[in-house]
Amino acid sequence: MELLITLRKYDLYDSIKNLTDGIIVGKYFTSGYHLSLEEITDLSIKCKNDNLKFYVALDDLISEKDRSLLINYFDFISKLRVDGVYFHDLSVIEVAKRYGLFDKLIYDGKTILTNSLETSFYLNTGLDSVVISRELTLQEVTGILKNNPNRVDMQIFGHIRMSYSKRHFLRNYFKQIDREVSLDNSEVLSITEENRDYHMPITDDESGTKIYSDFIFETYKEFPVLKQYLRRGIIDTIFLEDGQIISALVDFKRITFENRDFMEQSLLNKRENLYSTGYLYMKTNKTKDE
Amino acid sequence: MSKIELLAPAKDLAKAKIAIRYGADAVYIGGKRFSLRSRASNFDYEDIKELCDFASLYNAKVYVTVNMIFHDEDFDGIIEYLKKLESFNVTGVIISTISLIPLIKKVAPKLEAHMSTQLSTVNSLAVRQLKEFGADRVVLGRECSIQEIEMISRNVNVPLEVFIHGGMCSNYSGRCVLSNRMTLRDANRGGCAHSCRWKYHLYENDTEISNPECLLSMSSKDLRASAYVEKMIKANVASLKIEGRMKSEYYIAQVVRTYRKMIDEIYEKGHLDDERIKYYDEELDKAENRPSDDGFLSGDCDNTKHLFGVNGAGVTHDYVAYVHKYDSNRNIAYIEVKNIFNNEDTLEAFGPDLDNTLFKAKIMFDEDWNLVSLANKPTQRLYLRVPFEMKEGCMIRKVSKK
Repeated sequence: MELLITLRKYDLYDSIKNLTDGIIVGKYFTSGYHLSLEEITDLSIKCKNDNLKFYVALDDLISEKDRSLLINYFDFISKLRVDGVYFHDLSVIEVAKRYGLFDKLIYDGKTILTNSLETSFYLNTGLDSVVISRELTLQEVTGILKNNPNRVDMQIFGHIRMSYSKRHFLRNYFKQIDREVSLDNSEVLSITEENRDYHMPITDDESGTKIYSDFIFETYKEFPVLKQYLRRGIIDTIFLEDGQIISALVDFKRITFENRDFMEQSLLNKRENLYSTGYLYMKTNKTKDE
Repeated sequence: MSKIELLAPAKDLAKAKIAIRYGADAVYIGGKRFSLRSRASNFDYEDIKELCDFASLYNAKVYVTVNMIFHDEDFDGIIEYLKKLESFNVTGVIISTISLIPLIKKVAPKLEAHMSTQLSTVNSLAVRQLKEFGADRVVLGRECSIQEIEMISRNVNVPLEVFIHGGMCSNYSGRCVLSNRMTLRDANRGGCAHSCRWKYHLYENDTEISNPECLLSMSSKDLRASAYVEKMIKANVASLKIEGRMKSEYYIAQVVRTYRKMIDEIYEKGHLDDERIKYYDEELDKAENRPSDDGFLSGDCDNTKHLFGVNGAGVTHDYVAYVHKYDSNRNIAYIEVKNIFNNEDTLEAFGPDLDNTLFKAKIMFDEDWNLVSLANKPTQRLYLRVPFEMKEGCMIRKVSKK
């Protein structure tokens, strides 16, 4: 199993390179990655020299008018030493085939890859791997993993993306209330429903608006079992501080290689005070009447 | 070239029949299981079979939504369900789980597999990929502009379905699980709590920057694509879809009838001028209950296409009665009251074969033939003098003073 992180800041590389098996980077069709094409190229070289895996992410849906941008981006990607391409829009499959990268594709189903049949379907097309949805219970996750051992990736730490819109909710709202607020660094913005107290981070950029979980998802306790079946475990670093990222990497490394007991008090404290198990123990199939 | 399909929603058998009578070429419905709109899915096997038999009389088609995003626990019974639908002569199923395609082709090969808007397919390469997976039709995401729809249509050889009317997810369909977090109801399994329609405080770090008088809302106006129907026909779109499986029979009748007439006029005359589009918009106004716009069809959605602190309104006509029978010897309609009206109100009748016709409610009787001046009991049956021929299934609305 590989332990990967999404690298969203170039300067963080040196701090994490000895703690991870690889990095995921992005620019077009991804959000929250503050990297230039030059930095991505440089990171691919660094990864090669440091014997780290190097992955590119395309998290977004791609409109018809942006097809040429997608092809241009694959022109760029194909010249790098890429170990895999995470994608969400099915258009990527045809373009990747043109560039001979089909067998490096990893389908990130985001909210819609939720069962074993669908997982097997994608894997049987010849893709390298898939990333299953984050809204699954532990029972569902292990069921899917056991049906497809060592073929499936999963987010194991970080904020979870909960919604994605082409609409610019923040830009439009500021216009509506006649207020000027810069969205250049919109990672500091969050929303709270008027009758609840969840502070959910929100971004609004050229791809639209995305809302993330108020909680930081973690799987420390479950990881010893999950890692037996997982192809890759992903730490998504969006909205995390550098210290949190490094701490998470250290924790997962210790659980993986030192077989540290998940019951270790420091990890238990983190679970109770800082993080959440998300939906692992919480089904979300209630109806309106319940 | 075959004529474009007008596809209407229906919550139950009665509404489905109304949609077909009022001009829908096809209806889409949800069964008791596997559908994304669980509260709008009232069709058991018997109803589905009856609807298919009814639809065949009008040469109309029936599609069934099997569009929940399945978890492993949800598949139980799906094979039997698909086989049943095929045996009833359902034309196709609308799905979001791509892996159902090979299953459908194997166990119910006469069923078409239509890819739901839940997949948010917004480019031609993705459409082609779905075709390669075996899709028989693709419903495009509502984020496409009309130019993009035209481009996609030119670049694919699979029938496309496009939404033209009704409520819209403010997020990409299928990509929103806000409801899961806030209510433990899975938006992708029929439990959507419409969290996007709620109000939110906005913070920059710990400081609130929203306006307390106008909190942030993601709520979108409804879609109305009347001005784009002609372009969609010319773009060779296969099906125009109306949203609204929770809507009333009156809404279904009025919206279906309006688009039916509009489509027929475009095919007859080749073009609709602005005046005719305005006429049809006024007809749609009679059924609307939320402000509407053209969504992404004209390009980007700015702040004017959001609902900030608006709670609907805009209906100019109240639906007041459904016609069960008409006695042409006495010019008396036997009606079911839907909303309050009195014998001084101006009413407008319409039906599958009846153009809008105004009349006064002057004379009406209860079921014991006592004269009444006020109809104010929902489901009450009355006899109403109507000075022109009507048929079962016609509807009557009150013309309000704007």
